[in-house]
Amino acid sequence: MSSAPEAVAPRPAERLIALVGGYGSGKTEVAVNLALHLRAHGLVVQIADLDLVNPYFRCREAREAMEAAGVRVVVPEGPLVYADLPIVTPQVAGLLAPAPGTVSILDVGGDDVGSRVLSSFRPLLREGAYELWQVVNARRPFSATVGGCLAQADAIAAASRLRITGLVSNAHLLDATDADVVLEGVALTRAVALAAGIPLRLVAALGRLADDPRVAALPEPLLRLERRMLPPWLRPETRARCAAPAPRTVPVGVATHARLVPEVHRRHG
Amino acid sequence: MTKILMKGNEALGEAAVRAGCVHFFGYPITPQTEIPEYLVKRLAQVGGTFVQAESEIAAIHMVMGASGVGVRCMTSSSSPGISLMAEGMSYIAACELPCVVVNMMRAGPGLGGILPAQSDYHQATRGHGHGDYQVIVLAPSSVQEAVDLMGLAFELAERWRNPVMVCADGMIGQMMEPVEFADGDGRGPPMPPNDWALGVREGRRRRIVNSLYLSPEELLAHNRKLKAKYDAIAATERRSELDAGAGGYDVLVVAFGTMARICRTAVDELRAEGLRPALFRPISLKPFPYPELRRALDAIDGDGPVLAVEMSMGQMVDDVRLAAEGTRRVLFHGTAGGVVPSPDDVAAEIRAALGAAVA
Repeated sequence: MSSAPEAVAPRPAERLIALVGGYGSGKTEVAVNLALHLRAHGLVVQIADLDLVNPYFRCREAREAMEAAGVRVVVPEGPLVYADLPIVTPQVAGLLAPAPGTVSILDVGGDDVGSRVLSSFRPLLREGAYELWQVVNARRPFSATVGGCLAQADAIAAASRLRITGLVSNAHLLDATDADVVLEGVALTRAVALAAGIPLRLVAALGRLADDPRVAALPEPLLRLERRMLPPWLRPETRARCAAPAPRTVPVGVATHARLVPEVHRRHG
Repeated sequence: MTKILMKGNEALGEAAVRAGCVHFFGYPITPQTEIPEYLVKRLAQVGGTFVQAESEIAAIHMVMGASGVGVRCMTSSSSPGISLMAEGMSYIAACELPCVVVNMMRAGPGLGGILPAQSDYHQATRGHGHGDYQVIVLAPSSVQEAVDLMGLAFELAERWRNPVMVCADGMIGQMMEPVEFADGDGRGPPMPPNDWALGVREGRRRRIVNSLYLSPEELLAHNRKLKAKYDAIAATERRSELDAGAGGYDVLVVAFGTMARICRTAVDELRAEGLRPALFRPISLKPFPYPELRRALDAIDGDGPVLAVEMSMGQMVDDVRLAAEGTRRVLFHGTAGGVVPSPDDVAAEIRAALGAAVA
């Protein structure tokens, strides 16, 4: 995990990443892990919880862990953090034009209804100045086919008035996920990428699966996930297990396509 | 069967469709809104009806009307909305009509909050509205079990011509878990023929759906008939689960729904330390599994206590006391407001209970 912060060098558009996708695609888990990952590599990271449609399991629940790691977290303040009200704090606007060396992540709610909130920022966002990544979980009922994912993408693009610029494959069944689930999800997301003409930017997988040789052999950048959105009966020990660093980690900047997500541990050279 | 990842609320909706439910009437409220949200899309695929009513009061009476003409139907809500449905529940039970009502419990009283709770236990098991009536209440503790119990709920509603409530806490509705559905075309069986539903008469005897009995003798007879039905339900429809562990136990933990899962973690960890707790989980809250719990209580080694754990200030514990009939010391641990206890909180209570048992 050793890395020089300057080696990360995100492209300008990658300083603002909004994560959208269907309910249960794992946007929040990806957003929180991406924030912590980039922070661990020396970037200034700020994240806003824009999930206005989900009452539980929102990234505000990982606020403590993220703030402890030095990530700036923008969520409704006080008891409103528990509300199911469409609250967007004014600080969110400040995240839309991050300074060099800073990455802003927007964790947006599910489906087209959840992403509608982005349309209010449309006037502030120039084409090419943002990344809008659709997180795809191939094991969800409405995103199990290419057609389903494309329909979801169209609905999200229409509701947000923004263009989807990348895909994140995050096929999972929570703890029941195995490497086959991850690989089948990547195959589906590649097909979606081909059909939509947008790149597959990232594959996300639980730590234990990221270590699987077949997953590790994937050419796409890989984000190791540590589950943060846990139901109350699951122990954080599982986190510790997932978080164990892989021995094959390559320093940031070595991999050619790993500007933003540098932990591409199996891409030797 | 392929495992897919579903939110509890969506899975409940899908399970209802697969049980043959084709009519839904409801009103949005957190944390159950994904049920209507899912069904508005899904019922259109099977030629069903989705109505967003103007209130929960309207919704439950639409259920009564639909049920009265013999179609499989349901509604869903969360705590404050269920309170509004109380009147309709009494009428539906009085008229002996089958229907399913889902309560995705949130923290109360009043508007309370939107986080999970189990504080509608008394409301669910002691009647919602007025009069001597009972509703079968099923409490899932996982998304898969919610799916399975949803199918059972429709079956029991029609077998007993009675409302059945699936009573879960918001955590079950909001969390995602992998689920499997039985193979099939995704459509449930049609409602079997019956001799009570209203419709075109076609020469048969007139049928009446009614809850008004002005004659006291007739109303008494109606109440006796209902009571006989509830007794039969209590005798045959109890459901529960006991994990006694190996080689006896010194304390019995009783919990349902999400709370049972947290207790499960605590019990497993304490067993790994060599302690001997057992876990009893009521699945049917009404009828409450009194005989099964009593047998489990009688099997506690020595004079060990029973510990009821709930996300309420103490409701199911009353039924634990009724089962114990004074034979065991009954302890209680509970929280409210949407604060969900951790396995550590529960483990500390179990340790304390075990310490008390030794002393």
